[in-house]
Amino acid sequence: MRLSDLYFLMPLLILVGAATLNMLVVAVKRNHKVIFGITIVAHLVAVFTLLQLNGSSYQIPPFFVMDGWGIFNLGLILLTSLFVTLLSYAYFEQREERKEEYYLLLILATLGACVLVISQHFMALFLGLEILSVALYSLIAYLRTRERSDEAGIKYLILAALSSAFLLFGMALVYAVTGTMSFPEIGVYLQSVSELPLLLLTGFGLMIVGIGFKLGIVPFHMWAPDVYEGAPAPVTAFIATVSKGGMMGLLIRFFSQADAYRYANLMLIFTIIAIASMLAGNLLALRQKNIKRLLAYSSIAHLGYILVAFLAGNRLGVEAVSFYLVAYFITSLGAFGVVALLSDTERDADQLEDYRGLFWRRPATAAVFTAMLLSLAGIPLTAGFVGKFYILASGVNTQQWLLVLMLVLNSVIGLYYYIKVIAAMFAQTKSVQERRKVLHPALSFASGGAMAILGLLLIWIGVYPTSLVQLIRGLLATFMTTF
Amino acid sequence: MILAWLIILLMVGGILAWIAGRFNANFARWIALLTTLASFLISISLWLNNPTTTVKATNWMMRYEVPWVPQWGVSFSLALDGLSLLMLLLTFFLGLLSILVSWREIKTKVGFFHFNILWVLAGISGVFLTMDLFLFYFFWEVMLIPMYFLIGIWGHANRMYAAYKFFIFTQASGLLMLLSILGLYFIHGSNTGSYTFNYFDLLGTTFPPAIGPWLMAGFLMAFLVKLPVVPFHSWLPDAHSEAPTAGSVILAGLLLKTGAYGLLRFVIPLFPEAAQAFAPWAMLLGVVGILYGAILAFSQTDLKRLIAYTSVSHMGFVILGVFSFNEWAFQGVVMQMITHGISTGALFIMAGFLYERLHTRDIRQMGGFWPAIPRMGVFASIFAMASLGLPGLGNFIAEFLTLVGSWQANNLLTIFATIGLVAATAYSLRILQKVFLGKNKAEHPLTDLSLREMSIALPLVVAILWLGLYPQPVLDRAKPSVDEQLEAYKKPTIKPEIPAQVTLQTLPADTVRLLNTKGGIHALK
Amino acid sequence: MTGSLFYFLTFLTLFAALGVVFSKNPVYSVLFLILTFFSLSGHYILLNAQFVAAVNIIVYAGAIMVLFLFVIMFLNLNMDTEQAQKKSVLTKVAGAISGGLLLVIMIAVLKDAEVGSYDPENFDSQIGLVENLGHLLFTKYLLPFELASVLFLVAMVGAVMLGKKETQQRHF
Repeated sequence: MRLSDLYFLMPLLILVGAATLNMLVVAVKRNHKVIFGITIVAHLVAVFTLLQLNGSSYQIPPFFVMDGWGIFNLGLILLTSLFVTLLSYAYFEQREERKEEYYLLLILATLGACVLVISQHFMALFLGLEILSVALYSLIAYLRTRERSDEAGIKYLILAALSSAFLLFGMALVYAVTGTMSFPEIGVYLQSVSELPLLLLTGFGLMIVGIGFKLGIVPFHMWAPDVYEGAPAPVTAFIATVSKGGMMGLLIRFFSQADAYRYANLMLIFTIIAIASMLAGNLLALRQKNIKRLLAYSSIAHLGYILVAFLAGNRLGVEAVSFYLVAYFITSLGAFGVVALLSDTERDADQLEDYRGLFWRRPATAAVFTAMLLSLAGIPLTAGFVGKFYILASGVNTQQWLLVLMLVLNSVIGLYYYIKVIAAMFAQTKSVQERRKVLHPALSFASGGAMAILGLLLIWIGVYPTSLVQLIRGLLATFMTTF
Repeated sequence: MILAWLIILLMVGGILAWIAGRFNANFARWIALLTTLASFLISISLWLNNPTTTVKATNWMMRYEVPWVPQWGVSFSLALDGLSLLMLLLTFFLGLLSILVSWREIKTKVGFFHFNILWVLAGISGVFLTMDLFLFYFFWEVMLIPMYFLIGIWGHANRMYAAYKFFIFTQASGLLMLLSILGLYFIHGSNTGSYTFNYFDLLGTTFPPAIGPWLMAGFLMAFLVKLPVVPFHSWLPDAHSEAPTAGSVILAGLLLKTGAYGLLRFVIPLFPEAAQAFAPWAMLLGVVGILYGAILAFSQTDLKRLIAYTSVSHMGFVILGVFSFNEWAFQGVVMQMITHGISTGALFIMAGFLYERLHTRDIRQMGGFWPAIPRMGVFASIFAMASLGLPGLGNFIAEFLTLVGSWQANNLLTIFATIGLVAATAYSLRILQKVFLGKNKAEHPLTDLSLREMSIALPLVVAILWLGLYPQPVLDRAKPSVDEQLEAYKKPTIKPEIPAQVTLQTLPADTVRLLNTKGGIHALK
Repeated sequence: MTGSLFYFLTFLTLFAALGVVFSKNPVYSVLFLILTFFSLSGHYILLNAQFVAAVNIIVYAGAIMVLFLFVIMFLNLNMDTEQAQKKSVLTKVAGAISGGLLLVIMIAVLKDAEVGSYDPENFDSQIGLVENLGHLLFTKYLLPFELASVLFLVAMVGAVMLGKKETQQRHF
């Protein structure tokens, strides 16, 4: 532990500091606005300090590494969390539960994800994962009086604990074989053996269970629809983005540092998972009438798409994953942001019926939602298209024809249900439907502004992806020197 | 640069129309009309400023290229040649008419409607202009979404189903094309070391023989679905019959043409060997389409559905011509694209006029309208005659040239295709007879064409007559482009044995083709 | 001295463990279990692992066993309920089979196991001491240590937040 370590861990320290500050403020006086403000400022400062670290590659042995990939993921997570916070204000303002602890838990969950993406050691990995999970247990069940929130919280709690146990067991097995818990040293060990020992493979397999659960990929996806449905909309956005993105960042770091791409049987496992996720996600989404469940299934499918690029296992693949993560984060935030905007005190606006004729009632909201759905479907002019293009490119480049064809097939299936929602929004309501009362017709400035920014980002990246590609390539330069 | 402005103008106009539509419906209409008119005038001035007589080193009148995503070798690359120019003129001409035709028909959400119209036009212009495959796919998809909305929001009763079907068919086939584009990109990249999506660079890429046909198949899927060729046509009757009039006009007149254009521009020059291997099957598909479309058209009772099936039939000629690989046929295809756009667009407009008066598309409820609305009768019969290929009207030239060209490639199939012309006569006359002749079934008095409607119909008549009587400017304009697309087939490197022609026992096709392309030039002048 | 202590502790452990299984009163079982943990901790001390011994007593004998007792008292289990429950033959057979299988596996695994040999040259008698552990925790493993504190903070905030009664709450 050196003093300069603190400098490189500054974004994380700021988050911890903000959490502490929030606690103190709550102890003195509960004020939603103040807590909200502190949270926003903390995120901004954290992002600012992160910018200072750009281009560095710094080791904090044996736990952390601050390289391009870590900085990219940190930035992504912090900004995503910032947007989640912005969307939360209006959402929680209309609810009676105590709102202040929410921000505290949100900051700490973000911290957990941040630890995850810069860790290169099982110990740090596990602590980060647990901080994220434990914070999510309470975030999911935050609106306790809601019908489904208990169910969702308990479900997530049990399954996450179970998957953590699997992960721990897997790590123990890996440790038993290799005698080390740090990724690069595991890589060194793997270099020394020609064949993957059976016990090590078992260990990796058990770890995949834990990782797969967090990513919500088939067959570890069962929790996703219920949790998405039961959790408050901003928390759902957080689960869909930060939680999954953090795990994806870790997975890629582990595979590249330990150089696990070499093993055909590991790749085979992931190929099967990817195809199953794409198919199951899209097919199950087809008949959903509940928007949050629909988005849950769609996110299962999207993680399957990301795995296609992950499986490419080369530089282009990692670039594609990074790009897709950005696009997918923007899109998910936008989509759940709309759900949050339209929700009222009683329940979230998660039925398809809530969106019927939305375009004629609230054109701006509907336009943003349409853009987000089109992006999920991968239609040009949106970031989702460029992301999907990138993934296809990495798949074609490594000639994984089966995966690529499955991706195309699934895009078409996916199109069907995205269009269904869009069609509902543009449908002309026959009778003048009784409008559900929305508590804050004058959109709260934060939510409205956040949605506008997300929409613009979506289009900007969709039309002019050059600068983002540039950024990702620049950051990856310090990460993937081996490729 | 002016090419980029054409597209930007339409897009900006669309947004303006949407915004204006929130205040006053007529603002939106006028903005849309003026934008399209401006684009039309720009393309006319392009025509006038680039006379065909001047001999130039290249047939590309202008090119505009700026890097877009340089890391991937994607550039914003537009280029104009004779073929593109003709297609652009057609686009804006039909665009103008479709805006005029919706003037009274569309009463709800006028601003958004015109936004969609202008963005479809922008997407289509982009498809016709772009010379970068990434950008091409981009525009290819951009034109779908507004079209989806046009059908889905302002269509007839069963509009959602039709819109779904249209979108999913075209999207699925488009994604396969994207895969092929990527395959082409990486093969070219690994061959030459420069990774680029630029059309001009990708021309002449050599493939391993096992991969070429697969790559072509991806492109073909997109274009054949769009065209549409028979096994993939089922979206078209639904989309056409459910769309509002303007939507039908743009669908039939322009969207189908992007498929034909794609075949000419991309499939033929990029994959010469694979295309030749596929040619007999493609021609067979074309003939099947011609006959199948005609037979189904004859048995329809829904007027718009009937016209839709005539499109299937007419588009059969396009694929027949494209895979004949000679200049006669290609000129015929270009003519067919233009004249079919005009004549079918006109028929849809007529159907729209009738629908406005009768509120039905069922021809069993029509009949004997000639005395009541003679002006419309005259116009409709001109367009029906055009559709059946009466000499003197544009379609005749197109089909004649196509058949002459395809005869040289494949006699047997050409004979079958000619039967399609007879069938066309049958269904075209059936329209006239059922709607305008016979016992009068009108329940209430019909009003004849108004001044606005006349001003829509007249330019169409003028255009179709001009194309029929003096097609030379169009043929001249298209010639350099057509030659260029055939470039790969004139080289002596072509393998002498072309399985297609051999199996179907015609003359050795190569010699014939080379002779005829020379002869063709003389014959056309 | 150490040897006789070891045998005494071993005897005590086994006796207490059997007592857990065989005593009819669940409260006695729990008390026997606590005794088992204590004697296990004695073993740890003999192995020069004071920290593990202390943690074992605090966590298992202290926290977890108290929870056990509470649960048993809440459920009001006693000798009557124990006897009232008829254990079917099937349960017994299944238990015997699974226990037997476990035994077989254990024998199979331990048959070939090599016990690491004791190397008096490099033996560091200080390795399990609290002082060393603390030293490591505050130097090399400072960051994970701090992260663990954050983890507890999260758990605490979450538990309090979820467990607290709202003024207008109707449940429970």
